[in-house]
Amino acid sequence: MTEGEVRLELPASPEFLRVARMMAAGVASRLGFTLEEVDDLRIAIDELCFCLVGRSGRPGTVSIRYVMGPEGLEVEGTGHFADNANEEPRLSPLSLQILKAVTDECQVEGGPDGPTFRLLKRQRT
Amino acid sequence: MAFDPDERDDLRRKFCEYAKNHDPALREQLVTAHIGLAEYLARRFTNRGEPLDDLVQVASLGLLKAVDRFDPDRGLEFSTYATPTIVGELKRHFRDKGWAVRVPRRVQELHLRLASVVGTLSQNLGRSPTIGEIAQAASASEEDVLEAIEAGHAYRFTSLDAPSGSDDEGSLGSQLGEEDQALADSEHRVALSPLIARFPHREQMILHLRFFEGLTQSEIASRLGISQMHVSRLLARSLSQLRASAEDTA
Repeated sequence: MTEGEVRLELPASPEFLRVARMMAAGVASRLGFTLEEVDDLRIAIDELCFCLVGRSGRPGTVSIRYVMGPEGLEVEGTGHFADNANEEPRLSPLSLQILKAVTDECQVEGGPDGPTFRLLKRQRT
Repeated sequence: MAFDPDERDDLRRKFCEYAKNHDPALREQLVTAHIGLAEYLARRFTNRGEPLDDLVQVASLGLLKAVDRFDPDRGLEFSTYATPTIVGELKRHFRDKGWAVRVPRRVQELHLRLASVVGTLSQNLGRSPTIGEIAQAASASEEDVLEAIEAGHAYRFTSLDAPSGSDDEGSLGSQLGEEDQALADSEHRVALSPLIARFPHREQMILHLRFFEGLTQSEIASRLGISQMHVSRLLARSLSQLRASAEDTA
């Protein structure tokens, strides 16, 4: 773990989504993001976490890293699920469209530990 | 709400009379006679962080509507008829305010204040303010500001078969130019998902402008004549409903 990094591990359940969102907002505000940028981040985190755990949650946890880099804020989330670790997460066309509008870079993929998402939000001002 | 038989007959007679002549004095008497029901129902909503006085006022409005619409000839007890109307009014109050989960009063008050603080700051700065700037202008901590913003997004993650309509939709239609109207009717309903077609017109517009046209929340806000915070709230609500519905239809 490096300096300028925050890590969070949560139950893979929608009730804990708020915590992931609040943490993103907190880190972003520390970096001096504007209200609208913070709001974009929230939307992105919601969308990506939903992609990983769905509406009713899954057995397991989601770990999230918030990295304050030179380019902006990077967020990486990985699902550690008991039910199916090797799946390929998929975003609907609508989700992709939404994410394109609120992030600068964004991707989801399967990984050795479980499905993973990554996003980058640059600071405009 | 127990009335003795004489009172009950008297009220029934008044309801019949009121249904015919709509006499305001009679209406007043009928509302007063049943105010206990409004208070009782309002009290059931007090654990959600709203002052009881406000809730009683909302419930009274529901009661008033029920008195106006009640048809005594149908043989239903007034309380049976009025309860769902009053509860509906209370629920709508919470829905409109967005307090689906319990939010401390201090945070709620800050949330209500933020709309104007953000509006003024954006205008002065010519851009969206940072959280730090908002905190300073509102004399609050950054944490409280973040929580107050989050409070406005506190919608339950539930599927709503019919996305809640906005009461002021009618007035919106008149604000939109013909071009926007055409856009709303054809292009984006096709481009977006069929799920979005079920949203109220204003929500459809906001989703389209933000995610397909790439307008900022402030730009959408000034275009629709509402605050940026309001746009943010409506976006959060629509997206939460979309996710819920997407999963239902998957």
